[in-house]
Amino acid sequence: MDHILSWITFLPLIGMIAILFVPKANTSLIKTIALAATGLPLVLATWLYFGLFDKMSADLQMVDRFTWIAGLNAEYYVGIDGLSIALVWLTALLLFIGVPASFGINKAQKSYYALLLLLEVGIFGVFVAQDYFLFYVFWEVMLLPMYFLIGIWGGPRREYAAIKFFLYTLAGSVLMLVALVALRLDMGALIDSGTAEVVSALSGTEDLGRNAYFSIPAMTALGGAGLLTGSTLPFGGDFLGMQFTTWVFWFLFIGFAIKVPVFPFHTWLPDAHVQAPTPISVILAGILLKLGGYGMIRACFPIVPQGFDDYSYALGVLGVISIVYGAYVALGQTDFKRMVAYSSVSHMGYVLLGMAALTEWGMSGAALQMFNHGTSAAVLFLVVGVIYDRAHHRDLNGFGGLAQVMPRYWALTTLGFFAALGLPGLAGFVSEAMTLVGAYQSPRPGFKLLVIISVLGIVITAAFLLWAMQRVFLGNLNPKYKDIKDINAREVLCQAPLLFLCIFLGILPHYLLDWMRPSVALLIQNLTVN
Amino acid sequence: MNAYIEQMGLIAPELVLTALSLFVLTWDLLKKGRNSDHIGYATLVGLAVTGWLLLQQWGMLGDKGTQTAFGMVTIDRFGTFFKLFTVGSMAVVTLFVMLDKNERKHGIGEYYFLLIGASIGAFFMVSTNNLLLLMLGLELLSLASYSLAGFHKGSKRSAEAALKYIVFGGLSAGVMLYGISLLYGLTGTLDLGLMGHAPEGSGAVSLATQFDASPIPVAIAVVLVLAGFAYKVSVVPFHFWTPDVYEGAPTPVTTFLAVGSKAAGFAALLRFVGALFLTDGVDASIVAYGDRIGFLLAILAAITMTLGNLSALRQGSLKRMLAYSSIAHAGYVLMGAASMTSEGFAAAMFYLAAYYCMNLGAFGFLIYFEGVTGKDDIDSLKGMGWRHPVVAWSMVVFLVALTGLPPTVGFYGKLILFYAAIDAGLAWLVIIAAINSVISLFYYFRVAKSMFLTEPVPQVPMRQHGLAGILCVLAVVTVLAGLGAFKDPLRGWADEGPASLEIYATDAGSR
Repeated sequence: MDHILSWITFLPLIGMIAILFVPKANTSLIKTIALAATGLPLVLATWLYFGLFDKMSADLQMVDRFTWIAGLNAEYYVGIDGLSIALVWLTALLLFIGVPASFGINKAQKSYYALLLLLEVGIFGVFVAQDYFLFYVFWEVMLLPMYFLIGIWGGPRREYAAIKFFLYTLAGSVLMLVALVALRLDMGALIDSGTAEVVSALSGTEDLGRNAYFSIPAMTALGGAGLLTGSTLPFGGDFLGMQFTTWVFWFLFIGFAIKVPVFPFHTWLPDAHVQAPTPISVILAGILLKLGGYGMIRACFPIVPQGFDDYSYALGVLGVISIVYGAYVALGQTDFKRMVAYSSVSHMGYVLLGMAALTEWGMSGAALQMFNHGTSAAVLFLVVGVIYDRAHHRDLNGFGGLAQVMPRYWALTTLGFFAALGLPGLAGFVSEAMTLVGAYQSPRPGFKLLVIISVLGIVITAAFLLWAMQRVFLGNLNPKYKDIKDINAREVLCQAPLLFLCIFLGILPHYLLDWMRPSVALLIQNLTVN
Repeated sequence: MNAYIEQMGLIAPELVLTALSLFVLTWDLLKKGRNSDHIGYATLVGLAVTGWLLLQQWGMLGDKGTQTAFGMVTIDRFGTFFKLFTVGSMAVVTLFVMLDKNERKHGIGEYYFLLIGASIGAFFMVSTNNLLLLMLGLELLSLASYSLAGFHKGSKRSAEAALKYIVFGGLSAGVMLYGISLLYGLTGTLDLGLMGHAPEGSGAVSLATQFDASPIPVAIAVVLVLAGFAYKVSVVPFHFWTPDVYEGAPTPVTTFLAVGSKAAGFAALLRFVGALFLTDGVDASIVAYGDRIGFLLAILAAITMTLGNLSALRQGSLKRMLAYSSIAHAGYVLMGAASMTSEGFAAAMFYLAAYYCMNLGAFGFLIYFEGVTGKDDIDSLKGMGWRHPVVAWSMVVFLVALTGLPPTVGFYGKLILFYAAIDAGLAWLVIIAAINSVISLFYYFRVAKSMFLTEPVPQVPMRQHGLAGILCVLAVVTVLAGLGAFKDPLRGWADEGPASLEIYATDAGSR
């Protein structure tokens, strides 16, 4: 099927436009359209994953490419490889789950589902875009729906949380924009110069002979060959006493790190999560955080490998701080959702640590961890949503003994918690173990120490999750909740596919690893500076 | 005689506008101010004719190159670009006046007359190389604007606005005239082209020659003239009049001041700087001085955008907030001028075109909102989003564009400004501008917050379908242009501008 990526990306947009023409009283039709507009991409993405995608190849596949804004040399250029395919599928799944999970929302449903679908367009777009301009447009398109989804349907402090989310992310993305403009100018001058070095670096890519100054593969090729150094810019590759590559690296890295979020850029996350409605928290934790990690391996590290090489230890340190600090802060929370939010900071720290190590295990583990955190964090937020819908509070100390009245809920929660704390046999264990082993193998000095410290994070994670379990489910039943209803079928159905993935990928992780192996190998090769 | 008619043909758009202004004034006198909608329609028809003539002229200029009428009026694509957008914004402002319930109480015929008069001034201001005619155009624009600002005769705020405007305006015009007279004294000509490069026997001395002899008077003269322009486009530190005048003036007038008047000021500024420092044939010594002027403009740009944005943060009134935002945007546009390259000038022109679009939208929203609530403070917007969804979502598009986020024309414009500036070695300025976008997000989205995030206050909805339709169209244009549509009227035409000024192209190959 031609243009499958474009269909996946823009089907939700068609759904959104359709919703705009439905009268707002007709909520059942709106929900149906939303289900269809998220369901079809899921079907297509599944087909893509198991049918169309060639997992032996590290090349970009399913490429759609044409000139978009000629004056800027920007292209509409989408494609997919082993790094993005799993995340595209996860996006399709979580957004599809997000729709039924939102059926409890009664306020302004038309706007809600329209914004949700617009958000999906932005997320898909970032994962498939191979042109940096297109990537940036999609990246920013996500912000607006997210702002309104948190701001309109969120909790009591939603206004604060929404604008904080927006400001933090925008601060990151304007830094990205500055770096992007500089890169684009340098690319333009390099490609136009047409020197033998440039030609040989671009040979073998589709970009040879195309004036695609924004093409990410072309930037990767030129960056990997050590040519993208800003030497053609007015300041000649050296700006305020620091190398151009260093500036670009940090500007791009901070832009993505805010999204991940990496300590010390994480402070927007607890507020956004706590205030956002449940389905939005699910999408935020499940997908939006992955955009940061994905952005680093797609559009930051390979473009300026020199910067990555120089500062990989700093990245490892940031990763470890996120792991330990995130877990430690989670331990101190009394709000269930805030605890889960901080656990996300901790879990995403493994991603950074694994990438920084630059070993095959570390990198695959990081990619795997992104997917697994997507499922397990989504489960945890759904779990919180279930209890919040019934009790209308999230105070961990305000429950007790719920296992007696909500046995099915307890069982699902336990599974989710164990997946999150990395119990062997469940998905989180595989990816965390891989990142840690990968980091330990790293030939770079000092990573062994980082691994040793980050093991502390695992212990604390186990502690806060088990302690939370004890406070909520075990002990004497809080009499206030003796009549509380157990989890219903809709809620089980929302969680079931995610829990299934947690178990399945714990046993058979190669259903992800096989798909990403060639791309990871290529990435490592690109990142290795000779 | 034939040559005379031919030259009259070159200024046909201006002649049509002049005839239109007289027609409007006479008709209003005859009708004694009753049923003024017809006058509005007549104005729109006249503007449409002017626009059509300008489009013809645009095509003609492509074939024949720059033309001169009566030795004073320079008809080139640079000027025509701005005239086209002036006419476009005038048409939208006319519609605003016709649809604004507040404005109908006041005698409306003179309103159109003054608006047309202001745009005639703007037309001459953007299409002359002669400093005398430039000054006349600027004064015509200013005088009409002063009266327009004070148009609400009974309103104290309006009167105060007019008075402030006239005092500041008079002062800056004096400063600018002093600069012009110094330039005339130094070079013996009022023609910018001759100042930049005086051939043998022209009787003039080029500025470069004078600069080599004694740099100080030249520097003073140039800076004084620039100060006059800086006032017109409200660049810090000549911006003090802006918030008060914008707030006090009737909102459609504010729209015109923020859009048409500012763009005309920028056009004159770009032409002045370009002709003196950047055209082919100017001497090396003055180019070096031009670089220093560029650096001065860069610093002014940085201060202007930062101060404008920081001041906007604290405003409670939407109108005042938009006034400060227009100061901040003057800073962004100035980045393009500060680049001192043809790309920079083209980027500034494109950004101004984008600015027309999003600012017309934002002010149109303000008019709609004042019509509904009779207030202009942001807190009164509460729940607008739920009662007037189309208008409110259009406003969100304008806010996104003003912040400079994709997929809108505001982003596109900012992007090419950033290119030009980094390419000119102004990376520090780009970083400051980028940080400024983040600051601006905070106050722009206070509007969105008020409209959508707070619960609606019960209130009788009053719908203005005409205005809502205009806003909707503008919002769609803002997004489509951001996605790369309208390449010709926006990007393509903006690139023609610097070429028609004969600004020597830097090595454009790499862009």
